[in-house]
Amino acid sequence: MDVKVFQFNGCNKCFNESLLLKLSSDLDVEYIKDPKTWKEEEIETAVITGYVLPSDIDLLIKIRSKAKKVIAYGSCPVSGGIYALANQNGHETTPLKNLVDNVIEIEGCLGEIDELKSVIKDLELTKPRKLCDLCTRRATCEYLDTVNRQIELDDEETCFNDLGFLCSGFVARECKERCIDYNTPCRGCKQLVGRSGIRMLGMFGTLMGNIEVATEHSVKGATDKLADEEDDVTRSLPDILGNFFRFTLTTSGLPKGRIPSSGSLLEDLFTGRLIEELPLITGLIGGDKSISLTLKIIESYEKANQMEVSEQTKKYREKLLGLEEKLHDAIEKEDAEQYKEITEKIRQIAGNMNLSNVFFGGFKSKIKDEDDFEDYKSHIFEVVEGTYKNGSVEYSIDSEGIIKEIKIKE
Amino acid sequence: MSDCEAIDETIREKIQDIVVFMCNECGQGSANTAGVARMGYDPAIRIVRVQCTGQVGPIQIMDALNNGADAVACVGCCLGACHFFNGNILSMHRIKLMKKLFKELGYSDQFVNQYTSRAAEGETAVGDFEDIVDRLTTAIKEEGTIKDGC
Repeated sequence: MDVKVFQFNGCNKCFNESLLLKLSSDLDVEYIKDPKTWKEEEIETAVITGYVLPSDIDLLIKIRSKAKKVIAYGSCPVSGGIYALANQNGHETTPLKNLVDNVIEIEGCLGEIDELKSVIKDLELTKPRKLCDLCTRRATCEYLDTVNRQIELDDEETCFNDLGFLCSGFVARECKERCIDYNTPCRGCKQLVGRSGIRMLGMFGTLMGNIEVATEHSVKGATDKLADEEDDVTRSLPDILGNFFRFTLTTSGLPKGRIPSSGSLLEDLFTGRLIEELPLITGLIGGDKSISLTLKIIESYEKANQMEVSEQTKKYREKLLGLEEKLHDAIEKEDAEQYKEITEKIRQIAGNMNLSNVFFGGFKSKIKDEDDFEDYKSHIFEVVEGTYKNGSVEYSIDSEGIIKEIKIKE
Repeated sequence: MSDCEAIDETIREKIQDIVVFMCNECGQGSANTAGVARMGYDPAIRIVRVQCTGQVGPIQIMDALNNGADAVACVGCCLGACHFFNGNILSMHRIKLMKKLFKELGYSDQFVNQYTSRAAEGETAVGDFEDIVDRLTTAIKEEGTIKDGC
C-alpha cells in the first residue's frame, strides 16, 4: 500500500512519529517534509500532519484530488491544535475539514500510531472509552472552595478537579500519552464529545459553586444582577482560553480573536498563557527540539529564582538531552527501529513525548522503582515577576504569572 | 419606551435578536405579571422559558450566539430564592466565566449577562430588558457586534 506523509506548518512530532509506519512491512511510506516539492503523482493514502492555514488551500486541493484517502493525523490538522490558541490574536489556523472534504480525522497530541495504521488499512477501530473510567483517581464532584493552579503531589486518590486543579478528563477519550499517570491533569487533546472545551467550561463553572461571585444592584430592574467587576471567580482562572480551549478553539464556534497580534504566530500562542503551563506547551509544540526548549525555559526560571535542583534531577535532565541528540540522528536516517527504541527511553524519564513528567524543580512522578522520589520531586513554586533569558529563549511574566512577552529564536 | 428613541438609529438596527432565558418561577413569572399589566418592552427581546437558569450553560449560550443572537441574557430568581437549590448562583458562575472568555478574545463582556427578577413585580423584568438593551448599545458603539467576528 502506498502512503505519503506530508508535513505542513508547525511542530514535526506527529510527522516523526509516522516513521513507525515503516515497521509495517505491507506499507510503502514516503515522507515529504516540504509539500511544495511533491511531484503531484497519484497517491493511495495521503497523511497530513501539522497545522494548516487558508493559504495552503491550493496544495491541499491538489492532494485531495490525487489521493484516494486523506487522513488528518494529530490535533493540528484536525482542529488547529495548540497552535490555534494564536487565533486569539487574529491568526487563521483552520481545521483541515474546513478547506477540503472527505477527511478522516485522527485526533490527539501526539496522534496515535496504531489508530493511523488501522485507518490506513481500513480496519475497524475499537470503541473509545472515557478517560475517567481508566483513571485511578475518584471524583466526588463536590463544590470547590478554591481553584489551585499548582498542587502538592501527595494525594494520588482524589480527582484533580476535586483538588481544584482543572483536568479535562471528563470530556476526553482514553489515549496512549496518559498525562494523568504523571501527576499532570488531562489536557483534553482527544475529545469525547463535540465542543468539549465549552462543555468543560460549564462543568468547571458549576464545580466552582462555593466560590463567591460578585453581584451588584441593577438600577433599572431594581433587583440584583451579575456584576462586571473582577471577583474570586475570574481571579482564580486567569487564562480561560488557554486552559479550556487548548486544542479545540477553532471547532468550538467561538468568534475570532481580536487581540492585537505581535506578528509572529509562535509568540502569540504563548502570550497570555500561565507560567506553570509553559513547560507543557513547549513539550507539545517543540517537535524534535522539545526537550532542549523545555529545559531551557525551566532552567532559566530556576536559576534566576535560586530554586534548588537536586543532583538526581540534573542527571535525568542530562540523560534526556542526550536522548534528544540520538533522536535527531534516528530521524535524519529515517531509522524506525532506532526511533522506537529512543522514544521508549524518553518516555521512561519524561512520561510521554509531551514531557508531562518534566517540571520546575524536578519531576512529577517516580521514574525508576528503586529511586527515592523525594530526591527529585517537584513542589509548588512561587510566581516571581520578571524577565528570564536562556540562550535562544527570553520571556517575561507579570505578578500573576501570565506571560507578557516571549522570544524564541530558532 | 422613551429610552429607545434616544438610541442611535444605526446601532439600533444591529440589535435584532436578544435571547433571554427566563426561569419558570421568578423570571417568567415577572414577565407574565408585566404582560398582565400591559407593560411594553423592546421588540428585540426573545424569551425562552427554562425550568431554572441552572439549566442554561455555555453550550446553550454559544448555540444562541452562533445561530444569530446579538446577545444572550438569563433572568432567574433573586439571590437565595432559587426555587430549586442554587441554580441561579451556578448559572452566574458560568456566565461570569463566559464574560471573561469574551474579554480574552477581545470582545465586550456585555454579550452575556445574568439578571434576577421578582414574580410579583412586572417592572423588574421590564427594567432588566431595558438594561440589557442599554448595555448592548453601549458595547456595540464602543467595540462592535459579536457578528463582526463570528
